[in-house]
Order: sequence, then C-alpha cells, then structure tokens
Amino acid sequence: MSITATEMLPISEKLCPDTQEALVDVVRDCYAGDQVIYPIGGGTSLDYGLPPKADGVGLGLDALQRVVEFPARDMTITVEAGMTMAALAECLAEENLRLPIDVPDQAAATLGGVVATNFNGPRRFGEGTVRDYVIGISAVDGRGTPFKGGGRVVKNVAGYDFCKLLTGSLGTIGLITQVTLKLKPIPNAHQVVACAPPDLAAADQLLAALVESETAPTAVELLVGTGWQQDRFAADVNADAARPLLALAFEGTAQEVDWSVEQLKTEWRRLQMNQTHLLAGSEADQWLQMLAEFPRRGPAAGDDAALVLKANVVPSGTTRFVAQVQALDPTATIQAHAGNGTVIVRFADLPDGGIGRDLVGNLDALAARLHGNVVMLANPARAEMTRQSVWGGIDAPYRLMEAIKREFDPKNLLNRGRFVYQF
Amino acid sequence: MTTLPSSRPQAIVEPLRKIVGSDAVLSARSDLLVYECDGFTIEKNSPDVVVFPTTTEQVAAVVKLCNEADIPFLPRGAGTSLAGGCLPVGGGVMIVLTRMRDIEEINLRSRYAVVQPGVVNIWLTQALKGSGYHYAPDPSSQGACTIGGNVATNSGGPHTLKYGVTVNHILGVEAVMSDGQIVQAGGPAEDPPGLDLVGALVGSEGTLAIVTKVWVRLTRNPQGYRTMLGIFDSVEDATNSISAIIGAGIVPAALEMMDQGILAALEDAFQFGFPLDAKAILLIEVDGLEAGLDEQRDQIIRLCEQEGAREVRMADGDKERQKLWKCRKQAFGAIGRLSPSYCTQDGVVPRTKLPHILRHITEIGTKYGIRVVNVFHAGDGNIHPILLFDERDPAQIKQVLQASGEILDECLACGGSVTGEHGIGVEKVEFMKKMFTEDDLTVMNQLRVALNPSNRLSPDKMLPTAGACGIEQKHPGRRAAM
Ligand SMILES: Cc1cc2nc3c(=O)[nH]c(=O)nc-3n(C[C@H](O)[C@H](O)[C@H](O)COP(=O)(O)OP(=O)(O)OC[C@H]3O[C@@H](n4cnc5c(N)ncnc54)[C@H](O)[C@@H]3O)c2cc1C
Repeated sequence: MSITATEMLPISEKLCPDTQEALVDVVRDCYAGDQVIYPIGGGTSLDYGLPPKADGVGLGLDALQRVVEFPARDMTITVEAGMTMAALAECLAEENLRLPIDVPDQAAATLGGVVATNFNGPRRFGEGTVRDYVIGISAVDGRGTPFKGGGRVVKNVAGYDFCKLLTGSLGTIGLITQVTLKLKPIPNAHQVVACAPPDLAAADQLLAALVESETAPTAVELLVGTGWQQDRFAADVNADAARPLLALAFEGTAQEVDWSVEQLKTEWRRLQMNQTHLLAGSEADQWLQMLAEFPRRGPAAGDDAALVLKANVVPSGTTRFVAQVQALDPTATIQAHAGNGTVIVRFADLPDGGIGRDLVGNLDALAARLHGNVVMLANPARAEMTRQSVWGGIDAPYRLMEAIKREFDPKNLLNRGRFVYQF
Repeated sequence: MTTLPSSRPQAIVEPLRKIVGSDAVLSARSDLLVYECDGFTIEKNSPDVVVFPTTTEQVAAVVKLCNEADIPFLPRGAGTSLAGGCLPVGGGVMIVLTRMRDIEEINLRSRYAVVQPGVVNIWLTQALKGSGYHYAPDPSSQGACTIGGNVATNSGGPHTLKYGVTVNHILGVEAVMSDGQIVQAGGPAEDPPGLDLVGALVGSEGTLAIVTKVWVRLTRNPQGYRTMLGIFDSVEDATNSISAIIGAGIVPAALEMMDQGILAALEDAFQFGFPLDAKAILLIEVDGLEAGLDEQRDQIIRLCEQEGAREVRMADGDKERQKLWKCRKQAFGAIGRLSPSYCTQDGVVPRTKLPHILRHITEIGTKYGIRVVNVFHAGDGNIHPILLFDERDPAQIKQVLQASGEILDECLACGGSVTGEHGIGVEKVEFMKKMFTEDDLTVMNQLRVALNPSNRLSPDKMLPTAGACGIEQKHPGRRAAM
C-alpha cells in the first residue's frame, strides 16, 4: 500500500500512529512545523480529488483499527477509523448485523476512508447512504485539536452535527479517528430481478412506473454499454448488447422477497416486459458486490478505464444523462443507481478533443440543467485535472465551505489542494 | 449578554416596513408579548421588532439591515420549541417565517417536495394524501410546528426508530446566511459536491443560517401495519421485551412505552380500555410489505410473552389503530388530570440501559418526594420523564429542577445524551459542558465563527462558548412534550 501512497502523493514519509493520542501529537507537530498532511486509510482512493502538489507527510490511519465498543443489542458499534470494511463486516456478521453500504475494495478500504469520501453503492436506494449511519464521530482538526460530534445513542441533537460535516469532507477539515455507527440486521433473503428493455425510453418508462410499484427494492440499477457483456448474468439477461439492462434487488425475509419478485414480474408484464431473469441467495449478493466494485473496476477482467466520472442528477433525468453519455462515447460502460440519479461512467479512452472540452464541459452543463453535477472518480493519466473538471458544481456554495476550512485548518495542512476549495 | 440601546432597534422600524410592508412589522409593546417566549416558558424576553417576510429576498434585506444597524436577529417558526430556541436574548429583530407557507412542488417521480419554511408539517402530509407517499418525520407537534423549525431542530417523532430523523429526509436547503447572502446547498439531486452544508445546517437551531426553502425527500407509504399493545406487570419485563424485539433483528416502525402513572390519566381522558393495574404498556407497530407482517407480529408476541407479558393485544382494524395513536400523541394533554404543573425532560440512553434509567428515575422521584410518570420513544432509548408538582410551592420547584438535572446526569453516565429531539436552545446550554469537552466546544464554535462570524444571528444559543451567560433556571414551567 505504501508504494501506492508514495506514488500518488508527494510524501517523504508515512507515519502510522497507533493510538488516537499519538495521532493528535503528530498533527500538533505538523501544525508547529507547517507540515502538510495527507491522511491515508486503505489507500484505495488516493487518486480521488485533485492531484496534490505540496510536499508533506503521509499519515496512515491503518494502525487505528480497534473495536472500542460493540453493544450488539443496541445495534450500534464504535470502532477506530482505520478498520477495514471487510473486518468491520465480519465483526458485525457475528451478531447478524451489517452496515448496508456498498464499497469497492472492502478488504483494503477503511471505514474512515469511506466516511471521508462518502462512497455509496447500489443499496443506497433502499438503505440510504453512509451519512445516515454515522451517529458519532471523533476527529482531529488542522490545529491538532481532537474533537467529537454526536454520541453513542441512535437519537441525539446536542451540538452541531459533525457526523454530517465530516462525511464527504475528504479529510480536509479533520482526520477521522473513530466512528460510531447505527446498524441494521442482515436480511436473510436476497434476490435480483432483471430485464432488458428495448431502449432507454422503454427503460425510462419502467423507472417511472416504479414510483407506483407495490414493491420496495433496495437497489434500482440501470446498466448500459457493451462492457456489461463481460458479466455472465448481464449477458444472459441481455443477449442484444445494444439494450440497456434494468436490475432491481430485493432484501428481507424469504416471504417478503418472494412476494416482491412475483409482484414486480406482474407489474412489468403489464408494461409488456415479459422476459425477466432472476438471481437468488448468495449469487444475488455476489452480483450486487460486483456492481459495488464498478467505480474501481468494470465487469471485464483487467478492465482499466482511462477515466471514471460520477454524475448526480435529479432521478427523473437519469436516462437523459445516460443517453448523452452514449452519444458522446458509444463505448462507455455505464452504471446508474437510477432511483437516486447517480450515474457512474467508465470511459475506455480519453477523447481526442480533451477531457475538458469533449466530456466534462458537455456533461457538466447537462448535469447542471438536471440540478446536479459531475465529479471525477479516477483519471489514471492525471490529464487535465482542474478544480472544475474534478469537482464541477459551478454554483455550489464553495465560499462557505472555504470559510469552514479556514476555521478548522487555518494553515491549510490537511489534504492541501485536493478538494473543492480555491486554495 | 448583549444589551442594546433601545433607540437603535426603533430606528430600523421604518426601513423594515419598507422591506416587508407595514402590515408585516410589529413593534408595539403589547403586540410583542406573544413573542417573548416559545414552548419553553421559564425565561422571557421581548424582541424589539417582529417581521413577517414573505420572500427570501425580504429575509435577506432584513438581515442586511440588521447587520448595518448592528442589531441581533433570530428566526422563528411556530414557536413550539421546548428549549427556548426562539428566545430573543438581548432583544433585536425576530424574523417569523410563517407567512412563507407555500408547498412549491411535489415531484413523485423523483420523490421530493419543495416547501417554504413556514409550511406546517401536517400540511405536507395532507397535500400528499392519496399519492402513496409521505414525508416521514412526524413530531407529535406536527399539527402546529413548521418544516423550517423541524429542519432547525432536526426533529424526531414516534416513527424515527425505523425511518430516521429530519436530517435523513432533507435533500437541500436555500438559506439566508448571517450576512444576508442567499445560498442553496443541495437540492433535488443527491451528493452535492464539497462539504455537507445541508447536514451542518440541519439541527443548528437557527444559529448558522435562516432556512428559506427546503427540498424534502418523500417516502413510499408502507403497504400495511400491525399495531400491538403489550401489557406488562413490571416495567422491567417491558424494557426487556424492547431489547428482545430489537435483538431479534426486528426494527419496528414505532415502539413507545407508557407506565402505570400515565395510563391512569390516559384512561380517564380517552376511555380506551387500558388495564389500570398494568405496570407498563408497550405500543408496538411494525409496517412494510403485507407479506412479512404477520410473521413479525407473531414473533413480537412470542418475544413479549417470553419476557413475561401478561397479554399482547392486537389493534382491531384501522379505527382502533388511529385511536391508539391518538392516545399516544395526545398523552400530554391528559397530564393536567394528574397535577397542576408538570415538567417534561428529554434524554437518551442506549436502549439496553432503559431498565436502569427507569429504576433510577423512580429512585430520584422517591428521594425528592416527586411523582414521575413516563411516556416515551422506548425503541430509540429516548426518555421523557414527566415530573409532577405544584408550582405554587417554591420548595417543589427547586426539587423538580434538581431532580431533572440528576436524571440528565444519569443519562450521560449511561453513555447517552441530554437531548434526543428538543434541542439545546437556551435551556440546556449548561449541559453542553458536561456532554462535551472544552476542545469539542471550541471546534463547534469554529463552525459558528465560520458561518456566523458577527454572532448577530441567534446569539447565546446552543454553545456556552459563544458568550452565553447561561440561563439560571428558577422555574421548571409547565411544559408539554413528546
Ligand atoms: C406538544 C409538543 C410536542 C412536541 N413533540 C415533539 C416531537 O415529537 N419531536 C420533536 O422533535 N419535537 C417535538 N416538539 C418540539 C418542537 O415542536 C419541535 O422542535 C419543532 O421542530 C419546532 O418547530 P417550530 O416551527 O415551532 O419552530 P420554533 O419553535 O419556532 O423554532 C425552533 C428553533 O428553530 C429555529 N428556527 C425556526 N425556523 C427557522 C428557519 N426557517 N430557519 C432557521 N432556524 C429556524 C428557531 O430560531 C429556534 O431555535 C414538541 C413540542 C410540543 C409543544
């Protein structure tokens, strides 16, 4: 991991404090010595954000991975932020509990990293996002002041909600050291129902009809592009690679899931969608995990996209946005969490006219019209990385965010130059 | 505390009239009386002027004017806050948002609605009737409180156990910042780039911005409900049942507890047929797909019986379900039958600590000679002990305050919180020091300084470090709560 870290970040060394107190000391020393700090969790998303320029030190959180408290019957857990998502899942599964957030690279990705990047996958439609599960948080700000927000109980309105403010802050206003999570029971049944509507307009009709559906899916996935032919199930569903694929996941008791699948099939038949394909049990679960990996790796073995973008638009604008992507690059592989308006695109090649002119400029404008924005998830060639191309969101209230950053990190030491701020 | 020369606020009455119109400004002493406190009646202070803007631009202009004149200002919704969030400490201009009352858009396809801050919570429920969707946060005060106020206090309600609190249902806000600039954070699309300003503003009790528009998420109505009444011969058996149900992986939509004391008053008021010799009752509701409900119901009945329930009754049809919920939501109206005055506390413990905290509350009651009854959001561990007393007796008043403080201290000792849904306001500012370290409060103040640097917006609320003098409670008041 540290090889990746030194490749990605301009760091001379990587420090790995093994207690939260030791971490506070490191940050205080850096503050005193004007040393820029690059926090490193599992090292899976160090390419997310603008490429850093200032020399600094890497601060590894991976030694902080203790379970602080796990009152399973309260359905909460408090753990240190360097714990990997896989280790967390394993620990929770012993009590038949889970954190229903899908992330790629579970074995390496840390909880702190997931919170800092606010990564969420297919289940966000039914289960919400990571911010809905963080009920307590401890962090260290850019001056080396340790602080916390929230608590260890599921309901709590005392003080400002740092759980939310730190979620998605990319480690720029505080290094997350400890997290308390609200948990959910593991459902005992899973099924995926998929179909291949003739075109995007037909897919859009099915999505519109879901508003009235009697079923309650946990995921609503729209998969578009020839890349999906590399996945066996997707290829089964969609013999004609030109068609989009619509897949819904259901979780719950066996009875609930069985009923939902039958009900959905009935609803789809009414819309002339007679051909459906099913996956059940652990196969369904694994397929969902494959979908969760998509931002990091496509369905094809050895797929290495030249550029990965993520757009968020008003949910009803999903298919329109997908159509625009296809018009720009028919070879792109696209995954949309269609119920949420989240569209992730893997481009195989960089466009001739440049990322800015041919892609981001074009897609940003459409996303803005659909009330959203486009962010860059990965760009291995590191070409044309500007604040605008990486973070988009021309109209976002960045000035207020800068005011917060200045108060929490007055010397601009935490992940300098990587996030949305103009400095 | 900021005390301003009274001439200055008077000087801006005319310019305020120009902004919002003469019929939207109150400045006569007698007109201001209503606005000197909210649902928290212990401390009172009159604002110098009250304005009722109807547009975001008017709010911004009022805020700019206050800044130019160096006068404090604060937002107010319906004034149902139970923590003194609307107390105009130091006077100044009160900006009441109840005339911004339009539901601007309902978009079922993308599952959101856009509402102005003065929209009363239940209006949205009514507007959505028949659509198959609802706005999930349902505070017991929903017939009166505004969505702007709900956003500011991050309101909960009986159904937060399964559906979450207000912040889990807010997609975006438009707000006027403390310097008068208008910003939009979030909106109908998810994951706006940068810091989660929406999350920071929700629950900030009007100390960081004035919310002028809200994008709320809409939730699909459940297909069905099963509502049960678990009847117990001991409080311990009831709380053990709560742990057993949740430990079994069932997340009920609501799980409310009422003890013997409150049952007597409820029965007197509503004649529901509650067994008056029961020591505790659990109101349990599961919802979702019909296909799973009977199984969950049977499992809950089995678990309650295993824990010693005397009986678990099913609500017989929708009518009985409605009646049960009416009893629950209006429980506070019934308390007047028990005592001339009462004081409700709001604390949280991990739900497995409920038996402990309830025992402790009884002990504190005995120690001070105060009768305490309980009706609360048991599934969330959110207690609302109601202390009964006679406000004509100064000795009792002092004891009630001491007892309340001890109960909240014990919540903290259990690893809980001093407020689950009513907020800090001015009432609990002093408890912030017990719940958070000096460092925590310093960093919270950094957020306040970043977004409200002049501290003219809602001064002296929420944080002891923001220069609050701390309200010394002399009187527990008569308070209703949930
Ligand atoms: C009988 C009763 C039952 C209750 N039950 C519950 C319950 O079940 N759950 C619960 O959570 N609460 C409950 N409450 C408390 C209260 O109703 C909630 O806090 C509610 O959200 C307040 O809304 P409001 O419109 O009355 O706001 P107000 O009381 O007017 O204001 C509350 C706070 O919000 C600020 N504020 C108001 N509007 C805005 C705005 N537009 N922008 C920025 N800040 C603003 C104010 O400055 C103040 O600090 C109950 C109260 C009563 C009296």
